[in-house]
Amino acid sequence: MNAASPIASNELHLRTDEAALPRYALWLMAWAAVTVLLTAVSLSVGTSSIRTSLKWLMSPDASSNIVLWHIRLPRAIGAWFAGALLGLGGAIAQGLFRNPLAEPYLLGSASGAALGVTLGLLAADASLSGLAWTGELGVTGCAFVGACVAIALTLALSRGVLQTASLLLAGVVVAFLLSAITSLLLLSSPETWRAMQAFLLGSTGFISWRSVTLLMVIFVICAVPTVLLSRGLDALTLGEETAQSLGISLPALRLALLTLLSLATATTVAQVGIIGFVGLVAPHLVRESLRVSQRQMLVAAPLCGGTLLQAADLVSRWVIRPAELPVGVVTACLGGSYLVLLLWRRARNA
Amino acid sequence: MPDGHAPAQHAALAISCVDLSVSYGSRLVLGGVSLEIQPGAWTSIVGPNGCGKSTLLRALAGLIAADHGQVFLHGRPLQSCSRRERARSLAWLAQTSAPSDLSAAQCVALGRFAHTGWLGSQQAADEAAISRAMQATGSASWRARRLSTLSGGERQRVNLARVLAVEASILLLDEPTTHLDPPHQEDVGQILREQTRGCAVTVLSAIHDLSLALLADRLIVMGRRAIVGHGSVREALEGDWLSTAFERKVTIARLDDAYVWQPQLGKTVHD
Repeated sequence: MNAASPIASNELHLRTDEAALPRYALWLMAWAAVTVLLTAVSLSVGTSSIRTSLKWLMSPDASSNIVLWHIRLPRAIGAWFAGALLGLGGAIAQGLFRNPLAEPYLLGSASGAALGVTLGLLAADASLSGLAWTGELGVTGCAFVGACVAIALTLALSRGVLQTASLLLAGVVVAFLLSAITSLLLLSSPETWRAMQAFLLGSTGFISWRSVTLLMVIFVICAVPTVLLSRGLDALTLGEETAQSLGISLPALRLALLTLLSLATATTVAQVGIIGFVGLVAPHLVRESLRVSQRQMLVAAPLCGGTLLQAADLVSRWVIRPAELPVGVVTACLGGSYLVLLLWRRARNA
Repeated sequence: MPDGHAPAQHAALAISCVDLSVSYGSRLVLGGVSLEIQPGAWTSIVGPNGCGKSTLLRALAGLIAADHGQVFLHGRPLQSCSRRERARSLAWLAQTSAPSDLSAAQCVALGRFAHTGWLGSQQAADEAAISRAMQATGSASWRARRLSTLSGGERQRVNLARVLAVEASILLLDEPTTHLDPPHQEDVGQILREQTRGCAVTVLSAIHDLSLALLADRLIVMGRRAIVGHGSVREALEGDWLSTAFERKVTIARLDDAYVWQPQLGKTVHD
């Protein structure tokens, strides 16, 4: 080694980092472009047929104006933010638990939300005061409270956030237990079950501008601190003890990230119901094409998740038009087949 | 050695512990270990597998809670130091390195976390420390490579660079030479020697390769759960601590300036 080598290494550093960045930037731009395209397409697809053209956009009639600006646009944007929250949740869960099979609902939030909605609907049927309660809270409120209670139950069962294995196990136990209770309640009340369908299979059909605002605000509230905490997740990839030795408090990091994860999933489930696979698949889709740090993952996975849910929403409206498929069914089909493809490719490469 | 050290006596020491006991579940791994490590020396910890070398290093780094006893960092109880303070003074290297998706440069930059914190950005001093550490370990040319694409030995060198980048006053290294080929093992020995030059840094390393371990200034020889001896390499060899610790004859030969461990196997075949 000679005296000039530190300078040489600095030059090398600049060159290699710059070489890695364009790929990531291009990837983000490509997904963003797809999102814009999907938003435009979803404005022209729907149950009522509106011919969107430039001429029409200049002078729209009143009814199509309502359909476009108050149904289709909030739906397209809301679907994106819901998917982005799921993608963010998936990236947090997989980073925090260092497990590629972790998904946003792993603390039992989905089952809790379903039970919350079931109880709310049953209470509304049963008595006037129950109706008043449910009316006050709304279906989304019931779902949110249910999701939060389920997560609290999981944390109580695992006695805090320290043990990864017991946390995951507690999540599974709570999910099964609450689903069983929900099924039992729904068996005794078929009308409620029918009303619950949209929620259980996930639906982007009810997204109003109010939901869009809520999803957007929660997304910002969750995404900003998560990206700030991304160095903690980066350190975790080197092992828990190494992360600790670097000066990171594991309990505090876990608590903070689990709180953000819970807020993200509870909000999403409350607004669009239980939509599976988006949160699981989005980080995988990123990892397939990019080898990224956790900070980059926390930006890329929400973008990917949002675009995925928008695409799934579009498919759900297209396939059996003028009727609609539940969007959760579409994400399960698309996500499931993607994972099968991934498995198949891995088996072939191995 | 008298019992009940006053912290004042520990102030001149880099790191020390008194009556330290650690157990995993019901299994006692360290039983009442007391140690005083002078600043500016490279000390090797040697001993048979499972004797508690890694546990001792972890306990000194404050990564596991002791059942009993206390660790002092520059004379202060370790528990009374803040998390950040601890991470700035003590850099710990794990025995195995995970195949992370971070690039080598990102990994080494994490060594500066104790200095920058959550919100701080990298200053020129941080950049310089990262660059120096990568240069010293010969890992600078893999800056952009992912750890998961590096070989075990290369990854080990990147992790050593991460530890050096902390610029801590005490390095606690658990098998820093695993996965390394002999020339690179020697490089690590060279790096550790340079670190301790001028009494700047105290190095404590668990090394299973005896020839490499004997390059250090001082030796801690561990038997089952306890320390057989702690002193200079010469004291250790004169007292034949190694044979006591390993419960069998260990032959060390002198070759020029270095000591080498001589396997018995070859001899018995040729004699």
